[in-house]
Amino acid sequence: MLDWLDAFLITGLFEVVMIAGLGLLLHLQLGLARIANFGVVGFWGVGMYTFGVLYVKVDWPFGDPWQFLACAAAATLVAGLAGALVGWLISDLDIDGVLVVTLGFATAVQIVATTEADWTGGAFGLGGLGFPYDIGTVKENEFVWLMITGLLVAAILFYVWRVHRSPYGRLLIATGGNEPLARSLGKPTFRTKLWLFVVTSAAMGLLGAMEAVMVRYLDVGHIGISITLAAIVGLVLGGTARVWGAVVGTVLTVGLFDIVIRTYLPLPREWYSQALPVMREVLFGLALILVLLFRPLGLLGDMRRDQLMRKLHGR
Amino acid sequence: MVADVVAPAPAARPQIRIEGAVKSFGGHVVVDVDELVLGDRPIEGLIGPNGAGKTTLMRMIMHSIPLDRGSVTLRPVDGPEVALSKLPADQMARHGVVKSNQVITDFDKLTILDSLLLASTEHRYEQPYRVFSEELVFERYGSEIARYLDYFGFTDARALALSAGEKKLLDIIRCLLVKPSFLMLDEPTAGLPGELTEKVMATIREIAAAGTAVVIVEHDLNVIWSLCDEVHFMAEGKVVLHGDPQSIREHRTVVEKYLGEGHV
Ligand SMILES: Nc1ncnc2c1ncn2[C@@H]1O[C@H](COP(=O)(O)OP(=O)(O)OP(=O)(O)O)[C@@H](O)[C@H]1O
Ligand SMILES: [Mg+2]
Repeated sequence: MLDWLDAFLITGLFEVVMIAGLGLLLHLQLGLARIANFGVVGFWGVGMYTFGVLYVKVDWPFGDPWQFLACAAAATLVAGLAGALVGWLISDLDIDGVLVVTLGFATAVQIVATTEADWTGGAFGLGGLGFPYDIGTVKENEFVWLMITGLLVAAILFYVWRVHRSPYGRLLIATGGNEPLARSLGKPTFRTKLWLFVVTSAAMGLLGAMEAVMVRYLDVGHIGISITLAAIVGLVLGGTARVWGAVVGTVLTVGLFDIVIRTYLPLPREWYSQALPVMREVLFGLALILVLLFRPLGLLGDMRRDQLMRKLHGR
Repeated sequence: MVADVVAPAPAARPQIRIEGAVKSFGGHVVVDVDELVLGDRPIEGLIGPNGAGKTTLMRMIMHSIPLDRGSVTLRPVDGPEVALSKLPADQMARHGVVKSNQVITDFDKLTILDSLLLASTEHRYEQPYRVFSEELVFERYGSEIARYLDYFGFTDARALALSAGEKKLLDIIRCLLVKPSFLMLDEPTAGLPGELTEKVMATIREIAAAGTAVVIVEHDLNVIWSLCDEVHFMAEGKVVLHGDPQSIREHRTVVEKYLGEGHV
């Protein structure tokens, strides 16, 4: 079964799905509410490690899939709490302050994951994770996990799509566009931003738990800035303000690099561990610069509320 | 004499009392109002030369800038007094206190319709989990919004507001949709063509008649004289005179400081 499917391809597709999911959540923060979260990987990492530590270190009275569900729920919750904390810290800050706090948060998460080695395995990493089911070969299990994660990200995409078509989305755009004006109309913008951060961070944490299952071995190198960078580049390239921006952008960046270049180009073996990650970072950085220079609103362009309103409310 | 005997009519409108309110920017005192009560009469005007501190005073009432000293208190028609100067800015509207802006302010990216729906929508429809409530919201508020749009001659509400005039009107309509009980308008007709000025004035009269206390800052004194039941004159951060339009109009100080000799 699945002979046609290359193991690299599954990994590559999973990466695309994962980054697109993070990009979609970042879109709610950055594209609508204009909160520049540079600590995406921090919330993802909190979810990932909360899941991993609970799954491996706690003696659960029940097995999978319940063990998975309990740990994933906890990961979501803890990431949501982290979102509340960071959201509260940044609620009154300008863009520089937000950058420092979110970036600092992501760094702190990585440091804690490294130093709390009793729990996280530190630099050695944390093993003992697995799929909450077993249907055959590793490849088959991975394929099913890819499908499940794909469904989750599709659900996130649907939610984002609905947000654009709801009073909530309008409030987020208003808060991002002119917060004092929104406040003067009675909108509790601090609370709105805080809850936005709680919800999106929780979802990032859940995605982190999904990642933990897929990689089955957590090491701190996994929760570096490159995840944040990939999500930002994907989103900005596709279009920060558009529903499909993160999806389009991620396919064109992560998809192109992690699937086409890594899987199908005949590259020397020794490149994979050292040269490729660096190349990826360089190319992503370059893509970001080019798009900001020549198409700052991304490939899909700016938000089109006029078209949307015509579609929703006639005329 | 007669006035003393006849019991004053119960205040059917909310009042705002400003006490000892001081605001300075960079050591320069911009507002220093000892005592001022707004809302005694249905429509009150606040006039004074450029830089007198009118906008600053209104923004202090809205708590969009903090006071250095003093207090602002709302006395609603029913219910206990509210210390506005202790509330965050987003709670003013909940107490019915709303202000339009002198400088053009808008939400970029939101269409005219969006902007008005935003103003109308109660916050409970704007929760993260209520992503299917748009239709409900439109059904609820759409017709009222359409009435304003028709009245003020907007042709395409599904587009972004482009001209300064459109944005100015939009700002006022947003305020009206919040259903204010105490409405402050900072130069509402500045830059509007004559027939729209008339429409704005008619609207102000209408909502004042319906029980909203209105305070207008305006340099177009024809608007003030024709709308206001009472006028406050402000100069150099202080409210120096109160009175009916006729008396203010003829007062020496006002003529000297503001209207210029030969006005009357
Ligand atoms: N944020 C600020 N920082 C510094 N100075 C300010 C600020 N806001 C207002 N001022 C100053 O305070 C004074 C009063 O300004 P304000 O806008 O309240 O006057 P105004 O009576 O509304 O005038 P106008 O009729 O021109 O609108 C002016 O000298 C202005 O320069
Ligand atoms: Mg002013």
